[in-house]
Amino acid sequence: MNWSKSAAVRESCATPDACATDPQQTLYERLHHFAGGGWILILLLVLVAGFWIARPAQFGSTYNLTMLAVNAAILLVLSVGQTYVIVSAGIDLSVGAVLVFSSVASAQTMLWLSGEPAGTFGTTSGGWGVIAAGLLVAVASGAAWGALNGALVALVRIPALIVTLGSLGMALGLAQVLTGGVDVRAVPDLLVTQVGNGTLLGIPMLVVIAALVAIVAAIALHLTRFGLQVFAVGSNAEAARRSGIRLRRRIVSVYMLSGMLAGLAAMMSIARFSTTTINGHAMDNLSTISAVVLGGTSLFGGVGTMMGTVIGVFIPIVLLNGFVILGIPPFWQTVAMGAVLILAVWIDQIKRRVRQG
Amino acid sequence: MRNTRHAYRMAATVAAVLLTATPAFAADQSVALVLGVKGSPFYQALACGAKAKARELGLQLTVSAPDQFAADSQIPVVNAVAATRPAVAAVVPTDTQALIEPLRQLHQRGTRVITVDQTINDTSFVASRIQTDNEAGGRLAADAMNTLLGGKGKVLTITQPPGSAAQDAREAGFRAELKRFPGIVYLGPQYQSDDPQKAAEIVTSTLSAHPDLAGIFATNDQGAIGTVTGLRQAGGIGRVKVVAYDAATAEVNALKNGSIQTLIAQTPKEEGEAAMQAAAAMMQGKPVDKVILTHIVTIKAGDTATADRYEYQGNCP
Repeated sequence: MNWSKSAAVRESCATPDACATDPQQTLYERLHHFAGGGWILILLLVLVAGFWIARPAQFGSTYNLTMLAVNAAILLVLSVGQTYVIVSAGIDLSVGAVLVFSSVASAQTMLWLSGEPAGTFGTTSGGWGVIAAGLLVAVASGAAWGALNGALVALVRIPALIVTLGSLGMALGLAQVLTGGVDVRAVPDLLVTQVGNGTLLGIPMLVVIAALVAIVAAIALHLTRFGLQVFAVGSNAEAARRSGIRLRRRIVSVYMLSGMLAGLAAMMSIARFSTTTINGHAMDNLSTISAVVLGGTSLFGGVGTMMGTVIGVFIPIVLLNGFVILGIPPFWQTVAMGAVLILAVWIDQIKRRVRQG
Repeated sequence: MRNTRHAYRMAATVAAVLLTATPAFAADQSVALVLGVKGSPFYQALACGAKAKARELGLQLTVSAPDQFAADSQIPVVNAVAATRPAVAAVVPTDTQALIEPLRQLHQRGTRVITVDQTINDTSFVASRIQTDNEAGGRLAADAMNTLLGGKGKVLTITQPPGSAAQDAREAGFRAELKRFPGIVYLGPQYQSDDPQKAAEIVTSTLSAHPDLAGIFATNDQGAIGTVTGLRQAGGIGRVKVVAYDAATAEVNALKNGSIQTLIAQTPKEEGEAAMQAAAAMMQGKPVDKVILTHIVTIKAGDTATADRYEYQGNCP
């Protein structure tokens, strides 16, 4: 039996018997499942087409489409981590705070290594070695917070909601302690010009990084044993444990992955904004969760796709961008985005129920 | 079958909504205003002043605002505005550093950039800066505090965390001017992050630590509301003198019922109007001042006429 398709098979089978006798899915079914298994992709295409038709020169300009991708990049990296956590039936509310902490730790390290005093403004002359050290610090601090989250969830058995809410407070508070509340304003010039604003073959570097992360994570989630175990843990943790999966190790590694990706996102944030943003990223946790859920991943775990998350990340960003371009008043934008979120998940639910008979 | 029909219906509705939305304006006629955050009385008043002036001058104005007063929330909005290529964009930058690149992109795409209320570190491409002298405002607050306290007592400041240029300047001006009054002991600033609840907690805690606290300076409307709440809970209304920045409706009411003793009012309506006037002048090719200062006013308790005149009017069509 082909394990790597187990989740897909469950998704598109009318009855278990039909699947047992016909394990070969058609190409259409496989593509359909790959595209988030629902109407989310169609919704995104409808939105993009709609805004494009309404404002072709503005929404459809190269500049705007590029900016959409760049604005999605950091959130996508965070959402990839969140996907793993939610598929394993957990939740990570601390992503934004871990990002802030990692960005602060990394920026201070890079500043110290470039030999500039603490209150410098602008950019420093730190080379790639300094940037590499900063990246290491960022990912390591993210991994540390992730390990803490995972240990408290898996070993001490505190609910993930509470643990990550607590680590949110601790990470944000420690970031403020480390800096006295003042953002680190001096980051290496190379980081800002080459990564934050640089391009590779015409594609912004941040988008390249986010795309690579998403592709690698998708392969790991859908085609490796690690990913399979994550699905199993989310589907039924007790059954997973009894079938030999090292449950606690898997849970800790999933949260560590989320933390490390938050650390990577922190470097991307520093590169993009050329400053740490201690007062920002406050809503990132909810944005990532809604992106993951929009993409078709179940909050109860065991079901989900990485492509769905990618689409889910783009929907709020496209909506905001389109609304601002159309000139819709800001308060109505808030109303509309909430409504679209509910509508999107509702349509997806209808479709799933129809398929399951 | 049924699901496909659903899809067509959904697509048709979305298309209909989008096509009947606001008509596309000519790129060289429009002015965009990006506020610091949604739902702030100060920025609402600024937007109202701008809208009224835009109507008067015949400008096509679009107003946008991010969900939070933070760079990562505002930059996607600025990017979207840049995509519409307005003739002039007036932006309240929420971060002195992070907004430099997005505003520079706006400028490179042919839009003239005005910064309103806050500013950025690199103003080489900014056509005009509209701001108030926040440091002078802080000094006015210190003078008012000195008068209220009769020259002695302990004083606390409730402000935003460091990094907001305007708030930092107000606190710096307050602190510098207080040095002239040897009888006043300055306890320093406490940070409330635009959360009245937190401000209230800070006030009650400080009163426990320093029961003889004589005065509080709140550097914005949210801090002021929280301060009044905290004082009410601790029974300190009237005993602890409050000097507050901004003249939102809640603060003016507090002034009238004696919870706040002095207001340092900005003139957001004037800032909005100045932004529109500068935009119109730019579009007509006329010269515009690099820095435009709007004034601030001290409103003392009992001066209801001035309070009503300077109250921030946020409700407008």
